[in-house]
Amino acid sequence: MELTGLVQQSVDWHAIAPELVLAVSAFIVLVADLFLPKEGKWIAMPLAAAGIVATLAAVVSLAGDDRGTFEVAGSATFVVNDFALLFKGLFCVIGLFVLAISFHHFRSGRYYQGEYYFLMLTSLLGGLAMASARDLISIFIAIELISIPAIVMSAMRKGDARSNEAGLKFFLFSVLSSALMLYGMSLIYGLTGSTVLTDIASSIGSIEASSEPVVVLAVFFLLVGFAFKISAVPFHFWAPDTYEGAPSPVAAFLSTASKVGGFVGLLILMFEAFPSVADTWRPLFAILAVATMTVGNLVALRQTQIIRLLAYSGIAQSGYVLVCFALIESGPGAAEANRQALTSAIVYLAIYAVMDAGAFAAAVSFARKGGSYFISDYSGLWRRSPVLATLMAGFLVSLAGTPPMAGAWAKLFVFLATVQAEVYWLAVVMGVNAVIAAWYYLAVVKAMFFDQPDSTEAVEVPYLLRAAMGLAAAALVAVFVYPPLITDLADKAPL
Amino acid sequence: MRDYYAQYVTIGIFAIVAAVLVVGTLQLSRLLRPSHPTAEKLTTYESGIDPIGAGWAQTSVRYYVYALLFVIFDVEAVFLFPWATVFESLGTQAFVEMVIFVGILALALLYAIKKRLLEWL
Repeated sequence: MELTGLVQQSVDWHAIAPELVLAVSAFIVLVADLFLPKEGKWIAMPLAAAGIVATLAAVVSLAGDDRGTFEVAGSATFVVNDFALLFKGLFCVIGLFVLAISFHHFRSGRYYQGEYYFLMLTSLLGGLAMASARDLISIFIAIELISIPAIVMSAMRKGDARSNEAGLKFFLFSVLSSALMLYGMSLIYGLTGSTVLTDIASSIGSIEASSEPVVVLAVFFLLVGFAFKISAVPFHFWAPDTYEGAPSPVAAFLSTASKVGGFVGLLILMFEAFPSVADTWRPLFAILAVATMTVGNLVALRQTQIIRLLAYSGIAQSGYVLVCFALIESGPGAAEANRQALTSAIVYLAIYAVMDAGAFAAAVSFARKGGSYFISDYSGLWRRSPVLATLMAGFLVSLAGTPPMAGAWAKLFVFLATVQAEVYWLAVVMGVNAVIAAWYYLAVVKAMFFDQPDSTEAVEVPYLLRAAMGLAAAALVAVFVYPPLITDLADKAPL
Repeated sequence: MRDYYAQYVTIGIFAIVAAVLVVGTLQLSRLLRPSHPTAEKLTTYESGIDPIGAGWAQTSVRYYVYALLFVIFDVEAVFLFPWATVFESLGTQAFVEMVIFVGILALALLYAIKKRLLEWL
């Protein structure tokens, strides 16, 4: 039997080198764990770190390239450009950071360490693939590759009912959102006859007016699917419970890598495939952004547990990124405005990932020995452990969007893009929300610096965590002092 | 608009015919068949042996692992058969790709063996 349709494809192996390296390292970690003695299981973590560093090297070796491979009907479904490489690099950095948070947590608890690091690398692989994916099927596979290992990771504490609850809730919401996303994708395929984003973009602008409701419906389903992944209101219910029940380093991973992965997919879809019909779906994003910012911030005001506070703060931060989607314009001359919206979204995501991971690292450090996850126990931390208190305050101040941390620029760029797009009401909502958010972030800072401590015992922080937090804080200050560090990268990173 | 809803008439007729067919045949066979129930005839059929115990039986959770492993290799077979039929025309690249695919699944098996999931305790 001869298959006429099948053509041998030449694969650009260098283009997929980062993914290959990461996949191989994940398997090395898994197999090494099988042969390590019980007291040596921690070696999985340095192995995983080496794998991510090697991946980072592969990413750097591609720097400046513009390649594509896995072609479908002449257009590449896997591209390597500045946008993809920027996010691949970001995922690697987040991965290393989460490894640093995880090490002591998973070594001291009775966990399956090898499996955890294997799953984390696999999930990270999904993020890397997402940054390069340029057709619906690759995007779907990438988002599933991010989510499914993360579900198992959040249920990692097998004997703990809360961890099981975290995993189950995450699983159910994840399945539901995937189903909705697939339905949206099938509608898009039905309308345009292609799964490749460039083809969709060229044919969706010229469909007849009677099909317009279907376009709105399809984008709506896609949006709802992604809204679960990025925990946007009203699809955020799983996030606080999952973050609280999961091991805290996993919560850090979900709140940074997993969320950024969802956003990267949404950025690629909305800026690449659907800008020509932006008029029909822009209001959806405006509503979602306002609801996400406001509800996230208002509910965060009432939290007494630091992980839940960070969960709701993460929800609110998603809202600011969603604002950038509400600025996408269609028609001629929109390219410049869309570029600015895209750049501010990229800058926001990069800075958010670092400061949020830092805040989680500080929370994990405090809860390890001599502390807890309750905000009330943070009172007077300045007198017990001045360094930890300063670092935590730095991350919270950055999340609040206040100088001298990079978070201020992140918010400012989104704000400026909103004003330049002349969507003033959205800018006002953002401003009000920034004030509400400052209240609960600074309340923790105030408790740490001005309240009396219950005990005088210093909080012991391992060197690995100190180094990780120190680097993150230094990066945030550096970007605040000299923002081109990140804006230059984002500026020359079109999709 | 009328034409549009007229199409539903087909579905309606189909639904009615389906319902009549099921109810009709069951009633017809009730009219035709003799009915002499005995204790043996009324027992639950279980592969020809006398049923033992209640309907709710507990199964060892170990079967779950076997079921999962079975599904993995079942799916592997699904991919292997079409690959085998076009293997020659696709050449080395297809061979290497399948080796990678089977290799990954073999790793899963190695994992299961090392975790002693295949030993019956």
